[in-house]
Amino acid sequence: MSILQLQGLHKQFGNTPIIRDVSLKIAAGEKHAIIGPNGAGKSTLFHLITGRHTVSSGSILFKGQPIHNRPPYEIARLGLARSFQVTNIFPLLSVFENIRCALLWSQGYKYSFWHLLGKAKALNTRTEELLVEIGLQERRNLPAGELAYAEQRALELGIAIASGAEMILLDEPVAGMSHSEAKNAVELINRVTAGKTLVMVEHDMNIVFDMADKITVLVYGEIIASDVPSKIRGNAKVQEAYLGEVVEEHSHA
Amino acid sequence: MIEVLIFATLNGLVTGLLLFMLASGLTLIFSMMGVLNFAHASFYMLGAYFAYSISLYLGFWPALIVAPVLVGLLGALIERYGLRRVHKSGHVAELIFTFGLAFLIEEAVQFFWGRATKDYRSPDLLDFPLFTLFGQNFPAYKAFMIFISIAIFIGLYFVLTRTRIGIIIQAAITHPHTVANLGHNVPLIFMAVFGVGTGLAGLAGVIAGPVLTTFPGMAMVLGSIVFVIVVIGGLGSLAGALVASLLIGLLQSYAIASDVGMPDLLAWLGISFERDHPLNDIWRLTLPQVAPILPYLLLVLVLIFRPSGLFGKRES
Amino acid sequence: MLKYVSWALFAVALIVLPQIFTSILSVSILNQMCIAIVFALSYNMLLGQGGMLSFGHAVYFGLGGFMAVHALLAIENEQMMFSVTLIPLVGGLFGLCAALFIGSFSTHKAGTVFAMISLGVGELIAASSLILVSFFGGEAGVSGDRTYGPPFLGFDFAQNIEVYYLAAAWLFLATVCMYLFTQTPAGRMANAVRDNPERAEFIGYSARRVRFISFIFSGFFAGIAGGLFALNYEILTEQNLNAVTSGNVLLMAYIGGLGFFIGPIVGAIVLTLINSVLSNYTDLWLLYLGLMFVLTVMFLPRGLTGFLMMHRTPWHLGKLHLLAKPYAVTAVPGSIFVFSMVCIVEMSHSNEPTFNVFGFALDPSSFLSWGALIIIACLAFIALRRTLPSLRDAWDTANAIDTKPGVRP
Repeated sequence: MSILQLQGLHKQFGNTPIIRDVSLKIAAGEKHAIIGPNGAGKSTLFHLITGRHTVSSGSILFKGQPIHNRPPYEIARLGLARSFQVTNIFPLLSVFENIRCALLWSQGYKYSFWHLLGKAKALNTRTEELLVEIGLQERRNLPAGELAYAEQRALELGIAIASGAEMILLDEPVAGMSHSEAKNAVELINRVTAGKTLVMVEHDMNIVFDMADKITVLVYGEIIASDVPSKIRGNAKVQEAYLGEVVEEHSHA
Repeated sequence: MIEVLIFATLNGLVTGLLLFMLASGLTLIFSMMGVLNFAHASFYMLGAYFAYSISLYLGFWPALIVAPVLVGLLGALIERYGLRRVHKSGHVAELIFTFGLAFLIEEAVQFFWGRATKDYRSPDLLDFPLFTLFGQNFPAYKAFMIFISIAIFIGLYFVLTRTRIGIIIQAAITHPHTVANLGHNVPLIFMAVFGVGTGLAGLAGVIAGPVLTTFPGMAMVLGSIVFVIVVIGGLGSLAGALVASLLIGLLQSYAIASDVGMPDLLAWLGISFERDHPLNDIWRLTLPQVAPILPYLLLVLVLIFRPSGLFGKRES
Repeated sequence: MLKYVSWALFAVALIVLPQIFTSILSVSILNQMCIAIVFALSYNMLLGQGGMLSFGHAVYFGLGGFMAVHALLAIENEQMMFSVTLIPLVGGLFGLCAALFIGSFSTHKAGTVFAMISLGVGELIAASSLILVSFFGGEAGVSGDRTYGPPFLGFDFAQNIEVYYLAAAWLFLATVCMYLFTQTPAGRMANAVRDNPERAEFIGYSARRVRFISFIFSGFFAGIAGGLFALNYEILTEQNLNAVTSGNVLLMAYIGGLGFFIGPIVGAIVLTLINSVLSNYTDLWLLYLGLMFVLTVMFLPRGLTGFLMMHRTPWHLGKLHLLAKPYAVTAVPGSIFVFSMVCIVEMSHSNEPTFNVFGFALDPSSFLSWGALIIIACLAFIALRRTLPSLRDAWDTANAIDTKPGVRP
């Protein structure tokens, strides 16, 4: 049973088509990677799924419900969370508050102005647990804007997973990290997304081929292949369009 | 009737074009720097006061040139040593800074020139009726104002579309980062644009001072109207600023010149009302009475139904 | 624990202050402070906590105030019968209604669009208030009398001091409520939306709804402040809802410090004092206020409270004393500079034949007194600039965490 289903998705900005007739099914529990050259429309696809952009035509079904053209907050409430390519946190709030805010809706607080956060035991315990999980408990009182880059990426991930969403979209989670930082980040991602559906855009082919159950290759807004990693590697079309040199490098390494 | 219409149109044109002189500078500054300069009308006021003081010694014509230049230089200095410092704290801080500046300039004007209205007059050379229509005079000075405003508009249009600096400015409006990456000195361009923008406001003050009276509240009177115009026209759109300026100028002029109101409307609809009805104030409203609030009403309506303004492309 | 102690201190201060400063003038200043604090705190709910820059906050203050005066009139005319202690609540509820209506379209965006709508609505209502005479009373305003209501615990509020204690009680209550609001999910999400409205939407919150909630609460408390104003002055005019009042509350909140809950309280106290004390000494006080505001925006973006809070790190490191001497060294030329500049400004403005400074009679028409002041100012400025590098060094030392005891990094 597929948790996310894209059908004939189109998106254009002005007269420029960015996403062209994309159809894709992602099964629940799958680790799915989307790869493709720069400008292929990977981030745009994420923005369409999560409600940041409206679709020009086509539909997106999440757990059988249409979610295209709905505002991001409604989509998030259904259990679809995401992280951003450019770090997107609450810079003046402390690390602790960042995580706690991300938990609020899923813990049922909504727009409450009659609960005191200090008295919300379950909420605060869960926040502390999450801080430990993402390894930022030492930094809990620091304003998020003052964290180091890798720490901000961990927080970014923490905000995305906090709500306990069934499906998580990660946009280049390890971009800009050193080798060891990236390794830690991958471990962290594996740990916190265990048992969930994960879709990620990533440029590092080592990580993609290690983590993904399935890979979709997007070129100029079109899917040219979507399959298990071993088949993708051998796919002539992918080789030609994009993967050739990257995969060779990967097999030599 | 027809003479009322003609004179209302001419007066509306004068006001509208004057407003455009302010609005164009404000728009340029906003497009370039993302700052809505709250103090813009204060520079207009400074223009009038500078020109008044200069005209005491040298007469009107030198003041017409010197005062806007001085205002522009002052604007550039304020950008360099004030605004640039605040820039790193974000747009809200910049807006608050210019708000404080408006406050400060008004107090400073009262300090240097006092609270009383200044006897700043139009030059004798233009002190004659240009033409007389239906027994009413149209002063030559107002024609001169129209002429200057249109000349400025053409000049600005020429600079923006035909010169190298204009093309850089246009590029910076749409792609500020790219322009910086191309190696242009963006801080210097910012300072220049701020200087030119405030200088234009100063020029508007020089020519408006004699007609709209030179007093410390003149910035307040026009300030928020100019804001209304750039927002209605669409932030960052020069064409929008022109249309909105003329729209507001004409709207107010017609409303003031008109002689109709709710009583006429009610009479026309055949509704009568009692004198001590609780909504009496509303039933008795006349168009000249509501003229001052029309721009704000328009602003709120535009912002609700079309937040990007009439000609705006992007919302900020 | 510390929290409860501060609240208790706050309450004690409110009770004791008029017993220390008993003159009629000081009680009236204290009354102004109570009103200003509630108003400034309500403004900070928008700007400091919610990131909404408003140029029209006086609308809710003024509308609440006008409604409160009408309630006083209704009591006076025996159309309604309730204690005047509840008048601020009337103001608050009317402010809330106004905010419900205006907020429904103005909170769609923050930033410049919000600022412009607030400006437009503010001007619109201020201008309409002169037209709609039956509610706003035109130029003369509307006035009432607070003493007609049934006495409350034997008080009829004819005395200013009685009004003070009523205002202080409302101030305390409103402050507690506004503080508690910052500790609720809605209050915290207001901060999150201020920081990053986009991300807030991806964690399930509509930025618009979050702003709207802060906005209506802010309108409510501004209305309470307006109601307190109505009780204290018994008259409201167009001035209470125009741009000047809106600008004033921005000044108070900003100078006090937007990022802190107590910032606006500090700002309201300082500005009320400047307003009522400085204006007795010089009619140029608005000029000084404008200068102070612009300099605050430029050099202390976190306001006076932010400046004090900067010293937390040296305090925790036990190195605050290292700053005492450099501060004193800078303060001497600094205060001489400010003082001589003030003398120059005041002298150029004075029409008296002599200008007295510390018993020295300066002649404003003589070149000598001008020259002396200008030279003193210049020297003081040069000296001031000379002291700045060592102050900066001292600051860095005081904020540095020593890695090894006794060794300065």
